[in-house]
Amino acid sequence: MTISDETIMAYSDGELGGEERAAVERAIRENPELEKRLARHRALRDRITLAYSAELSEPVPERLLAAARRAATSPTTGKIINLNAAQAAMARQAARAGSRAANESSYKPGWRSLGGIAAGILLGLGVGYGLWQQGGGPIARDAGGALIATGGLKSALTTQLASEQTPTSRVHIGITFQDRAGRFCRSFALSGAAAPVGVACHHGAEWQIESLMRGPAGEDGGQYRTAGTEMPPLLLKSIEAEISGEPLDQAAEAEARQQGWQAAAR
Amino acid sequence: MALLPRLRRFARNLTRNPHDADDMVQIAIERAITRADQRQPDARLDGWMFKIVRNAWIDEVRSRGRRDKIFAPEAAGEHVGSEVIEQEMTLMSVQAAMLRLPEEQRMAVGLVLIEGLSYKEAAEVLEVPIGTLTSRLARGREALQVLLGGEGEIA
Repeated sequence: MTISDETIMAYSDGELGGEERAAVERAIRENPELEKRLARHRALRDRITLAYSAELSEPVPERLLAAARRAATSPTTGKIINLNAAQAAMARQAARAGSRAANESSYKPGWRSLGGIAAGILLGLGVGYGLWQQGGGPIARDAGGALIATGGLKSALTTQLASEQTPTSRVHIGITFQDRAGRFCRSFALSGAAAPVGVACHHGAEWQIESLMRGPAGEDGGQYRTAGTEMPPLLLKSIEAEISGEPLDQAAEAEARQQGWQAAAR
Repeated sequence: MALLPRLRRFARNLTRNPHDADDMVQIAIERAITRADQRQPDARLDGWMFKIVRNAWIDEVRSRGRRDKIFAPEAAGEHVGSEVIEQEMTLMSVQAAMLRLPEEQRMAVGLVLIEGLSYKEAAEVLEVPIGTLTSRLARGREALQVLLGGEGEIA
């Protein structure tokens, strides 16, 4: 059996599966020449990887960090542009491909999509929160890639009433409200200077992170902040854009918790 | 995952000039925000961002009309770190060899071997069929083997 060099290359890159892979492995066992070619591909890959690994630890210039920070903290402006752009794109798509495309479009009005990208860039930056990187952090991605609250953040969102929290609560709940889809949403702040703040909405059995941004730097040097009073203006604006009616009062908040945060028309 | 350093690295391979590279990364970050709705839900963030960087560069090259004038004679010299001399020489020669590849091969090698994308993901970033990506990658690798030290001939 003849094995092309491209096939050996694809095998060395882990691109082959099933039958093909097994065939190449058999051929390699029988033919030392193929084994040499495989080793050559692997050696080159290692050499290139090594040569370019140093670049990753170079300091990133401030202007790029600033751009990424703006990206991570501008869900509001991004979303406003986006809603219009998405609607226009959907109309174009529908015009091109008939109504089928429009029906299949994954575009959903409201909060979706932007938070995830902003957060991805923010997380990609590793903006200083070891907790994001660890398995046990407050935010994870579900199977569909959406950001969801986990651990202490999830339990605070589910059980903590704004009126009951103490200055030492690790998560501060700000306001609770219903968005235009009727879902219950709550703003939250993690403790610590410049720690993330955001909004999560109850969906299914999870709290989906709809908005996430770097919190105010704070002059308190990492002391616990009072939720609400230090909410970044951008977060407030994004809430204003999505809120339906008024924020819940203390009684309504307790009632919603009692009902398991099930979305309901108001 | 550290996306920003990887975006810079990808952009440097693309533009062969560290200043252009950082400009492209900055433009791409700004574009990413306004184009969030265009991202396929299942697309990897890194691949999607690489594509935006690449498109920004295509726009830039077009608007400058100076593709042929772009060289990056200093690029290799910027990677001076604490490595031992021997390793540094290896670094410089790999990067110098990369600079000599045609852009399409350099991109294929960069996305697959440096950035770790699958063939399919890399093909999507470059907007070419997977077979095209595979042959560019094979040719780029072969050229690198030759450039990097006489071990290029297949017996």
